[in-house]
Amino acid sequence: MKVAFFLSIAILSLLASWSSSSPSVSFLGIAPQDENYFRKETIKCRNGSRKFTKAQLNDDFCDCLDGTDEPGTSACPEGKFYCRNVGHLPTSLYSSMVNDGICDCCDGSDEYDGKVKCRNTCWEAGKKARDKLQKLIDMYREGVTIRKREVEQAKEAISKDKAELSVLKAEEKSLDKLVNQLKVRKEQIEKAEGKEQLEKDNEDRSNADVEENFETTEASGKEDSLTSEDDVIGLVEQISIFQDESKSEHEDTNVAEDGSESIEDMSKEEIGRLVASRWTGERTGQVEETGSGADSNEGKDGSLNKPSDGDSKTNDPDADKIREEYKESTARLSSAQERISSLTEKLKHDLGVDGEFYTLYGQCFETKQDKYVYKICPFKEAVQEEGQYHKTQLGYWEKFEESYSAMLFSNGAGCWNGPRRSIKVKLRCGLKTELTDVDEPSRCEYLAVLSTPLGCLDGKLKVIVHKHQRSSLLLLTLHCLTGKWGSQQELEGKLEMLQKEKPEGHDEL
Amino acid sequence: MASRIGGCRRPFLLLFLLSLASQTAFSWKKDEFRNCNQTPFCKRARSRKPGYCTLIADQVSISDGLLTAKLIPRPIPNQAEGEEDHQQIAKPLLLSVAIYQGGILRLKIDEDPTLDPPKTRFQVPEVVVSEFDETMLWLSRVSTETLDGDSAPSSVVYLSDGYEAVLRHDPFELYVRDKSSKSRLVSLNSHQLFDFEELRVKNEGEEWEERFKGHTDIRPYGPQSISFDVSFYGAEFVSGLPEHATSLALKPTKGPGADDSEPYRLFNLDVFEYLHESPFGLYGSIPLMIALGKSGKTSGFFWLNSAEMQIDVLAEGWNADSGLSLPSDQKRIDTLWMSEAGIVDAFFFAGAGPKDVVSQYTAVTGKPAMPQHFATAYHQCRWNYRDEEDVENVDAKFDEHDIPYDVLWLDIEHTDGKRYMTWDSVMFPHPEEMQKKLAAKGRHMVTIVDPHIKRDDNYYIHKEASEKGYYVKDSSGKDFDGWCWPGSSSYLDVLSPEVRSWFSDKFGFDSYKGSTPSLYIWNDMNEPSVFNGPEISMPRDALHFGGVEHRELHNAYGYFYHMATSNGLVKRGDGKDRPFVLSRAFFAGTQRFGSVWTGDNTADWDHLRASVPMILTLGLSGISFSGADVGGFFGNPEPELLVRWYQLGAFYPFFRAHAHQDTKRREPWLFGERNTKLIRQAIHVRYMLLPYFYTVFRESNTTGLPIMRPLWMEFPSDEATFNNDEAFMVGSSLLVQGIYTERAKHVSVYLPGKELWYDLLSGSQYKGSQTHKLVALEDRIPAFQRAGTIIPRKDRYRRSSTQMVNDPYTLVIALNSSRAAEGELYIDDGKSFEFLQGAYIHRRFVFSNGKLTSLDLTPNNKKSKFTSQTVIERIILLGYSPGPKNALIKPGNEKVEVGLGPLVFETGLGSSSLVVTIRKPSLPVDKDWTVELV
Repeated sequence: MKVAFFLSIAILSLLASWSSSSPSVSFLGIAPQDENYFRKETIKCRNGSRKFTKAQLNDDFCDCLDGTDEPGTSACPEGKFYCRNVGHLPTSLYSSMVNDGICDCCDGSDEYDGKVKCRNTCWEAGKKARDKLQKLIDMYREGVTIRKREVEQAKEAISKDKAELSVLKAEEKSLDKLVNQLKVRKEQIEKAEGKEQLEKDNEDRSNADVEENFETTEASGKEDSLTSEDDVIGLVEQISIFQDESKSEHEDTNVAEDGSESIEDMSKEEIGRLVASRWTGERTGQVEETGSGADSNEGKDGSLNKPSDGDSKTNDPDADKIREEYKESTARLSSAQERISSLTEKLKHDLGVDGEFYTLYGQCFETKQDKYVYKICPFKEAVQEEGQYHKTQLGYWEKFEESYSAMLFSNGAGCWNGPRRSIKVKLRCGLKTELTDVDEPSRCEYLAVLSTPLGCLDGKLKVIVHKHQRSSLLLLTLHCLTGKWGSQQELEGKLEMLQKEKPEGHDEL
Repeated sequence: MASRIGGCRRPFLLLFLLSLASQTAFSWKKDEFRNCNQTPFCKRARSRKPGYCTLIADQVSISDGLLTAKLIPRPIPNQAEGEEDHQQIAKPLLLSVAIYQGGILRLKIDEDPTLDPPKTRFQVPEVVVSEFDETMLWLSRVSTETLDGDSAPSSVVYLSDGYEAVLRHDPFELYVRDKSSKSRLVSLNSHQLFDFEELRVKNEGEEWEERFKGHTDIRPYGPQSISFDVSFYGAEFVSGLPEHATSLALKPTKGPGADDSEPYRLFNLDVFEYLHESPFGLYGSIPLMIALGKSGKTSGFFWLNSAEMQIDVLAEGWNADSGLSLPSDQKRIDTLWMSEAGIVDAFFFAGAGPKDVVSQYTAVTGKPAMPQHFATAYHQCRWNYRDEEDVENVDAKFDEHDIPYDVLWLDIEHTDGKRYMTWDSVMFPHPEEMQKKLAAKGRHMVTIVDPHIKRDDNYYIHKEASEKGYYVKDSSGKDFDGWCWPGSSSYLDVLSPEVRSWFSDKFGFDSYKGSTPSLYIWNDMNEPSVFNGPEISMPRDALHFGGVEHRELHNAYGYFYHMATSNGLVKRGDGKDRPFVLSRAFFAGTQRFGSVWTGDNTADWDHLRASVPMILTLGLSGISFSGADVGGFFGNPEPELLVRWYQLGAFYPFFRAHAHQDTKRREPWLFGERNTKLIRQAIHVRYMLLPYFYTVFRESNTTGLPIMRPLWMEFPSDEATFNNDEAFMVGSSLLVQGIYTERAKHVSVYLPGKELWYDLLSGSQYKGSQTHKLVALEDRIPAFQRAGTIIPRKDRYRRSSTQMVNDPYTLVIALNSSRAAEGELYIDDGKSFEFLQGAYIHRRFVFSNGKLTSLDLTPNNKKSKFTSQTVIERIILLGYSPGPKNALIKPGNEKVEVGLGPLVFETGLGSSSLVVTIRKPSLPVDKDWTVELV
């Protein structure tokens, strides 16, 4: 009831201001709520610097530095022009846009000197905006619901993880004890079996290493042959520079410093490319990036999987049993430890105020733009892939920014003559979690948008609803003023809607 | 898995690449460019001793209005036996002296064409304007006198009312002297260092090739250099010789105290990350030197020659052991000029003041073109605005932040694979629509068009050019093939008028697809830059139209390319639209075709500081429309540096922000609200002063005077200004002092002359002939209006200058000690050539005895007229004590109110104190009227 009362007051006051002011030239560019300020004979500049007479209001000559006396003309650079934009939201323009021959207000009121005729587009524009806003509200509503659900799920999952973690830790403790006991016994048995076998083991192991090495050589060769034409050129160039360098090293001359001698050995085309690259930095950095990121990870994985004990065989049944037990419990221990470390790793992250970002953990999101595929893995990394093998590290997980509305990945691959790559991923409200947009506004500083229900915040919804109410309210007033009543039903529906959407306070307006 | 091998090799490669990158990316490649010692002609000339030349002037006579002579060796029997190296010539050289109106002497020395030289030596065509030839004075009389101590006579001819030219026969010497006092002004060969290597036919076994960094120059005509000494008498310092990143007054390069210096090199080069304070040549060359002496006496010397040139400024005492005696009562600066090829085609300018010399020089090479009005406003550039969306966003942001700008620039990435005059179809699928959107807001676009043409048979320009044989040839006669942005490229032979005409047509709307009338052009890399060529340029033995070797033409290549582009835009607009073409390379005469900028500078305080002497030197050399990249091309400026650069750049004649593609985005709104405001204010100051700038542009267009001037140009008798190249004048009414240090607390500024100066934005008064220590303000650099001047302004800012056309004017009258002031206002349509028919408004405003009068300066017999409805909305009086309440306007006897008002209309700029203002006089700008304070 209270709300309805307020609403009618608001409509009345709007009606009042409109009916009283619309034709007055001297009040041009003044917002209705400010009109009273200008009703006196002597008016103060808002910054208090001086006074001016009513005749000086909008007389196309600037008296107040802050533009108070010229809201409706272009005379004061700091003036603001208020467009009513009936049918849409009112706006405030820089005075530089008044009578400059370009229609800025949808009602065309900023161009009144006759040089250009502006069509009133407020009705269409307003409707479009309102429809858009309504859609946004609808989406937000659904999104907020999904978000709530996800927050609950995340909370649950986190506590589950925590519980699991404590169970695992207890298990680890007992397993550790068991393994140690078995180990002692196993060692006793093995001592008895002598050294010979041990040496044989070692030999086998080093053979295995060589083999592994050989395999990787083959694999990498294959990869290189699959690279795109561009890469080949890049590689050839790098290699040729590389060779130049090594040559001068072999010759042991002192020309390496200025690099000029090696330039003489290059082909004309190579020189051209090399000189061009000073300005562009192209290719001098890219080859490096392809490898370095992948290296460390894969190296780690490899060492983890390596079997640690040999397959020596003896005929002692007791020894076999001990070995079996030892192997089994070691495996259990290491799997428990693995799980512990992955859980600890996960839980140590800042997962948001309510832990809501738990759901993004371990996931990756991709989008393709031109020839690049961008891949964002929250809490891990962001990469740009070109084809199957050309990967550029855009950054490693750093943190959330802007009160959890953006994710920052930094310290990616270096840029020639510039910073290391980084990417900021802004979170937008959306019903599905997907990467929608990637941009590089500054070289090597990327910007992406991830639409996700997690971006649908209740607070934001309130703001949008407010905005919508304001425009609907104005629309309603317009109906009153112009007599363009819709059906009774329609109007009631609108009022009902407004009342329903009314949030508690009115402060934000 | 694949990474094991790469893992061990790549770090090594990476390390190497990094070290390579650090070498190439952060240092200027000194050894990539030849120094004097690596340049045989320079090394030879520089090592000669005074007295080397033994030529004498023989058969001196007047013929065809010229003073002519033959230069022959002095017939002394035993000379050949002397141990010293002496000038040898096989055939006499022809010398001629021509005199032109206004105190200009032209000296030519060349081989005698009747004696069958192997080839005609190159004379740079189309630099001297045809109107100049018409001003030649027909000499009919020569007088002869024998100077003290001379055995042979000297021939004397008239030069101007105050000066005469003297040709001394033995030893050969030419100089300009004061008629009455007989004291010398400029002389050539006074130290007998003249040398002229005649073209020869190669003898068997002779080694003529020159090698540098793996490049071989076959030099089919052998050595052909020319060198000589030039002396400036009574000179305190010399200036000129752009383009170097050096001080305005040229420091000595040889002699006591300058032992290790290189000469000033004039050789157009694409120098990666150039250094400030270096005599090495940059992108353009103008062999013009101006000497200034006490009481402002000025002379000039210009050598029209486009081959590589090296010039030494010789420190006092350089010739201590020479036995030659020169008039010793005059302080003197000696210089040594060396060129690889060409002829002597030299101009002596008799002054008498600095403005006269610039006027004389631009009488020879042409007055600066009148620019498009929009081009005098602010330009926004970046390598690169990536796509149409980027362009649209940047454009919208300017509106959002209420920052005016007029031109958005697209660098090389907008093209389809660096094929100029094409568009990247993914990034710029709708170029016309994009330009039209900008044009709807009164804004323009500039695209880059470089002289290297991608060798791709599917590229229409290449296809036609190669079929028609329009490319520069290599020494073997094949199309020269060099490497530049697009990869393998050839270069249009723009020395040929036919090629230029053909290329001009390519700018037509039907030919340049996706271009619209609001699109203008930027020429870059036209030194020419060749990434795999010697010194990143074209081989000297490459061949041009008419068998001209590249060595002979080099410094003018970019000039002819700029000319062809500029003419292309004139053709495109049916001769009705002024061209706008920015060029990086330049030569004498470039001012007729467009503007230049100082190339790839760096975002540091030193480059900010260096920009001022660089632009001043360009201005002295005729190129009045120039600027430096605001913010610095390479590197990321700190916000403070960027703001200071905007504040200074707002006073550059050409005001453009630009940045390398690897730098962070730096559009004005990206550095927080405060910095956005500061940058907006700096740009606003430029827009406010646009009417004044345009008036000064017109002055430059008619007189040749620079927009941005050394203080000594306006105050030549104030010696305290001689060493000052950190402050400058804009026109004759405005003085600007940059702030070149980080977190400056104070800034010192010297204000010349006897009269007062008024702070441009606060109106505060400062005394002349004093250095003032001022508090360095965050929101502006010191700028002052000279007492006795009237500056026209427009105080309403718009999206772009286009929307300001009908906005009213403000006149700011700064009174001098006689309570008087004068100023001018020039207005035309801002784009067409109608002004040449008299279609312009030109007013002189004179204030004296409390009365302001507007006088018409347009000629009576104009064929076309320009009118305007625009009015003067405000007249501000600085130095006028408040009192009068009204002003009376005649005709009409209308009374208007006089009160107090702000000086500038932007909070924070200026001060809160109010100044005497005539409110709303609404005076028509194109009519005669008076306003009298009563």
